[in-house]
Amino acid sequence: MSTHHEHFVSPFEPKQRLLMIVGNYGSGKTEVSVNLALHLRRRGAAVSIADLDVVNPYFRCREAQVLMRQAGVRVVLPPGAQQQADLPIVVPEIKGMLEPEEGCYSLFDVGGDPVGATLLSSLHEALGATPYSLMQVINARRPFTNTVDGCLKMQEGLENASRLKVTGYIVNTHLIAETTAEVILDGFELTQKVSQRSGLPIEMVTAMGALADDPRIMALPAPLFRLERVMLPPWLQQEMKDDSKDAEPVPASRPKPLFAS
Amino acid sequence: MAKVLMKGNEAIGEAAIRAGCVHFFGYPITPQSEVPEYLAKRLPEVGGKFVQAESEVAASNMIYGAAGVGMRVLTTSSSPGISLMAEAMSYIAACELPVVVVNIMRGGPGLGGILPAQGDYLQATKGMGHGDFDLIVLAPSSVQEAVDLTIKAFELAEKYRNPVMVIGDGMIGQMMEPVSFPDVEIGPPLKPGDWALTGCVNRKPRIITSLYLDAMDLHNHNVHLKKKFAVITEHEQRHEAYNCDGEYDVLVTAFGMMARMCKTAIDTLAAEGIQVGLFRPISLKPFPYEACKNAMLKGKRVLDVEMNMGQMIEDVKLAGLGARQIDFFGRAGGVIPSVEEVMNEIRACHAKAKEKNP
Repeated sequence: MSTHHEHFVSPFEPKQRLLMIVGNYGSGKTEVSVNLALHLRRRGAAVSIADLDVVNPYFRCREAQVLMRQAGVRVVLPPGAQQQADLPIVVPEIKGMLEPEEGCYSLFDVGGDPVGATLLSSLHEALGATPYSLMQVINARRPFTNTVDGCLKMQEGLENASRLKVTGYIVNTHLIAETTAEVILDGFELTQKVSQRSGLPIEMVTAMGALADDPRIMALPAPLFRLERVMLPPWLQQEMKDDSKDAEPVPASRPKPLFAS
Repeated sequence: MAKVLMKGNEAIGEAAIRAGCVHFFGYPITPQSEVPEYLAKRLPEVGGKFVQAESEVAASNMIYGAAGVGMRVLTTSSSPGISLMAEAMSYIAACELPVVVVNIMRGGPGLGGILPAQGDYLQATKGMGHGDFDLIVLAPSSVQEAVDLTIKAFELAEKYRNPVMVIGDGMIGQMMEPVSFPDVEIGPPLKPGDWALTGCVNRKPRIITSLYLDAMDLHNHNVHLKKKFAVITEHEQRHEAYNCDGEYDVLVTAFGMMARMCKTAIDTLAAEGIQVGLFRPISLKPFPYEACKNAMLKGKRVLDVEMNMGQMIEDVKLAGLGARQIDFFGRAGGVIPSVEEVMNEIRACHAKAKEKNP
């Protein structure tokens, strides 16, 4: 599979310990966030992920909470039935995630569009000078972000709403099961133009499963991140029992490293 | 054109624009709010009008008025909001105005919840308002089909001057799939010599009203509406028969997204050697009774699966007229039956079919 290629491909390396994922809704923030949380956890880090999606009523990262908790990722969510409310509920644990220690990562899966990013502006003061990565997910096959101007307009809206600055882009151009290498390459080209206009880097290119082995995608001048599909529609889902109570305990408030770094 | 990745709600909004509808009146409600949100951005780009009404009651009366002056119009809502539109729907049907209404259903009754359900089947097909009238009701099973049926809805609404409802559960509205938009040209909403209120310069004044004080006039109007729907029933039945070509003991009946989940169950069971047919009405009204009956009679027993407590099953029973036993499996309130659960229900139905007909 991919192992012999890994010498050539630069893997994604987070620049900060506080990672926030924003974008227009449907850009794939949740799929990227959940994959990223699982990836960092597998590398031995203590990972907390907060589902800050107050925009989508379904298909949010809370839908993958069993999988993540079983992997030892701490999932921060509104309690009980409030998870199924279309209300902007922000739990107090979020503030405790703002300054992850060495070897720990905090991930915020933020709701779509500027309206979803508005929630981040409430963390503006608590954040202070804490360094963060605010990565804008771009799917060039989505309405409103299929042009360079559209992506920059979206970025401006996200920045104004969050009172934070985007620090880089995630190329996540896809058509779910109909994604081809060409679709990803086109998305990369568009994001490159966005990057040239704004001066911000492309933090990663994502590719689902075997598409990450395509030589043309591996040759792209940006870190490659292989996704495994987590967010499945109900007719493709396997039964998943919630036995996560037995999973490895996760840190209560502030994440501690599970392995010495 | 290249495919785009869209949420069902966005795709429905875009499909309306492609069908030449540039006027939208509506009110946000989960899980359909992306339709007004999308159209609020898009309609100004295409020279249209977007109005967020003060309520669903207002929105439905706005489409009544806009259709009356010859505009192609759309409103969308979800279950509780659709109930608020019931009065206007009756007026619109009485006045034979072509409007398209989309219901992205959530769990009920009452305020219910925001998760997907199919509990408005009977409301849409049998009782959308007071008096004798019928809606044409179309139920997509994928985002692409939502696009195609939304466009078709405008065609049918204008062809028959009848309100058309596109109905889907919350999943259809929220899920994302790649879609393409066909090149369509329905033509202008108003044809020469038409009925709309366009200003009576050089012609006799017209009036659009559902008030008939004379009983015989009102009776005749009812007869006219019934005859019109008989024509619609003759020409506009749509369905999909899946895995129905070969032999099967059990026929599953389901509509919308539930049918899609049943397909996964049926495909999986085929690998176990159990052949199961699926009958999916696409036009819930007019319901394809004849086609449903034929599919039922090929098998020995029927399993009706719905995301409600058993609503379409009434039409399935009418189709079969007692010729086959019909089992039911349903989940309501936003609980989506899993593929595994559906498979178990089919296995049980299959065992009973074998038992009765060795």
